[in-house]
Amino acid sequence: MNPMTTTSSTSATTTDPAARQIGGGKVVEELQVSRFAPFRNTAITVVNLGIFFVIWEVVARAEVLNPLFFPRISATFEAMYTGFRDGVIAPQLGHSLSNLLIGLLISAAIGIPVGLFMGASRTADLILSPYVWAMTSLPRVALIPLLILMLGFGNGMQLTIIVLSAVFPIMVNCMAGVKTVDPSLLRAGRVFGAGRGQMYTKIILPFTLPFVISGINQGIARGLVGMLIGELLGGGGSGLGFLLDRAGDQFDAPMLYATLLILAVMSVALVQLMRWLERRVAPWRDVAA
Amino acid sequence: MAHTAAGAQLQIASHSGAEGGSGGGRSSVAPGPASDPVIVARSVTAGYENRRTKTRLIALRDVSLEIQRGEFLAIVGPSGCGKSTFINMVAGFVRPLEGTVEVDGQPVRGTGSDRAMVFQDYALLPWRTVERNVLFAMENRRNKPSKSEQAARVAEALSLVGLTGFEKAYPHELSGGMRQRVGIARALVTKPDILLMDEPFGAVDAMTREAMQAEFERIIAQTRQTVVFITHSIDEAVMLGDRVVVISNRPGTIKEVVDVDLPRPRLTGDAKGSLRFAELREHIWSLLQDEALGAQEAK
Ligand SMILES: Nc1ncnc2c1ncn2[C@@H]1O[C@H](COP(=O)(O)OP(=O)(O)O)[C@@H](O)[C@H]1O
Ligand SMILES: [Mg+2]
Repeated sequence: MNPMTTTSSTSATTTDPAARQIGGGKVVEELQVSRFAPFRNTAITVVNLGIFFVIWEVVARAEVLNPLFFPRISATFEAMYTGFRDGVIAPQLGHSLSNLLIGLLISAAIGIPVGLFMGASRTADLILSPYVWAMTSLPRVALIPLLILMLGFGNGMQLTIIVLSAVFPIMVNCMAGVKTVDPSLLRAGRVFGAGRGQMYTKIILPFTLPFVISGINQGIARGLVGMLIGELLGGGGSGLGFLLDRAGDQFDAPMLYATLLILAVMSVALVQLMRWLERRVAPWRDVAA
Repeated sequence: MAHTAAGAQLQIASHSGAEGGSGGGRSSVAPGPASDPVIVARSVTAGYENRRTKTRLIALRDVSLEIQRGEFLAIVGPSGCGKSTFINMVAGFVRPLEGTVEVDGQPVRGTGSDRAMVFQDYALLPWRTVERNVLFAMENRRNKPSKSEQAARVAEALSLVGLTGFEKAYPHELSGGMRQRVGIARALVTKPDILLMDEPFGAVDAMTREAMQAEFERIIAQTRQTVVFITHSIDEAVMLGDRVVVISNRPGTIKEVVDVDLPRPRLTGDAKGSLRFAELREHIWSLLQDEALGAQEAK
């Protein structure tokens, strides 16, 4: 049972050179890894950012660039702090985040099944492809006037533009996943008696899962752009895009930069979350590459 | 090397002792005059249609072949001569354009639990551990054994191929040779009558390959399954096969069926050093060389 205690019989039955032990009679050896190793990358990032902010502060104080559009980093953090304290930022951040998340959920709920269906059925692909590709390549901004005409300046318009931005990359990736399933895995499925349903649940869907995730990844990036477009051009008076717009109008550079920083943190966090998820659901991809 | 092989032999000897009784009538069947064909191909022609160029490529032409129960049939031939096409027809992936392929007297209509396959590229599910990959061969069947019986069979198949201790590993954590052992365990676990192998050791390095041939000869001596084994190595065909089918260039036809009258076990014995081995190998080599020359003249 326990591979550690049965090393003698393991080595007797194993003729594969790669399976032989390196030394010490054990198949699996403990490696000596520093306790601080996991924190090294974080430490590097912190130091890196620290230096970046210091240089920023120095350059801004020297007023090489017009402080009207290049504020000191300290002023930026101060604007962020007071913004949160006075309840200026939080509601807008909440509005944007919830819009983005709801939009992504709707996009996934539409994009994943439709994409899988397009991958599985040639007919569906033939019928839907022209529209999907047209929508994938069309710049989202072009739709704003039409959407405002149809939906006004409300939240519905903002949500729609997010969904329209995110749904197609998700769809296209899911379709690609199903279409690129390794044919010899499909043969193995048939040889070992998998029926139609089992082919989907045991081979096609697991194979497609990493594609779904990278689709959602692209969906997040596009959805974020859609969110900002909707908030900046839609003039709905809410969201981070609105904060940007207003700060610009009021020549409030620290607030403008503070909002940009929040946006950056938000998108990095979302991307990191998806990377983590990708490693969790498809650990074999990490090493196989 | 020699020590390891002997160790493996010992372990299996006790294993086969426990299994001896269940062999039943099959254990007495040996390839030879007693004819009990299990796979029969009658004047089979097979090919592939290309809709774009509106052409049909004939891969195999008028192939007739009887494979006996318990026989180890090796197939060699130049690449592209239709070896895979033949084995895929027996597996049920490809249909003949003309003629019939029968297994146990029934025309092949699709895949079936009486036939298992070992793939050249392993075809393991990368998201499943070793044991769950082997389990895959059983869990889809309608009349599958109980959970505990399944687990016992998986453990048995893994010990047969020498992978005990690697149950929880993922395919990407294993070497090529070990991956193919998982593929073999998966094919063996349901004890199918027929084992179809399409260049199973083709992607494995030479050293590992020889070790795996020896292991495989030992396993088959025990299970007495019917094996159809494609290879592009003449040595491998002669070492493993009861008969070697030599297929000619496109469109593939059977050029000759060579009986291999070397005593078994061959890989643990010194068959490779024998004069007869050299003769057979030379003979098949000259047959294939004709093919290679013929192909060049055709151009
Ligand atoms: N799915 C397929 N579609 C079209 N042509 C194929 C297909 N599979 C094989 N062929 C062609 O049929 C011929 C025989 O192929 P194959 O049976 O794979 O040969 P071998 O296994 O002996 O190398 C080759 O010329 C190959 O290009
Ligand atoms: Mg082939």
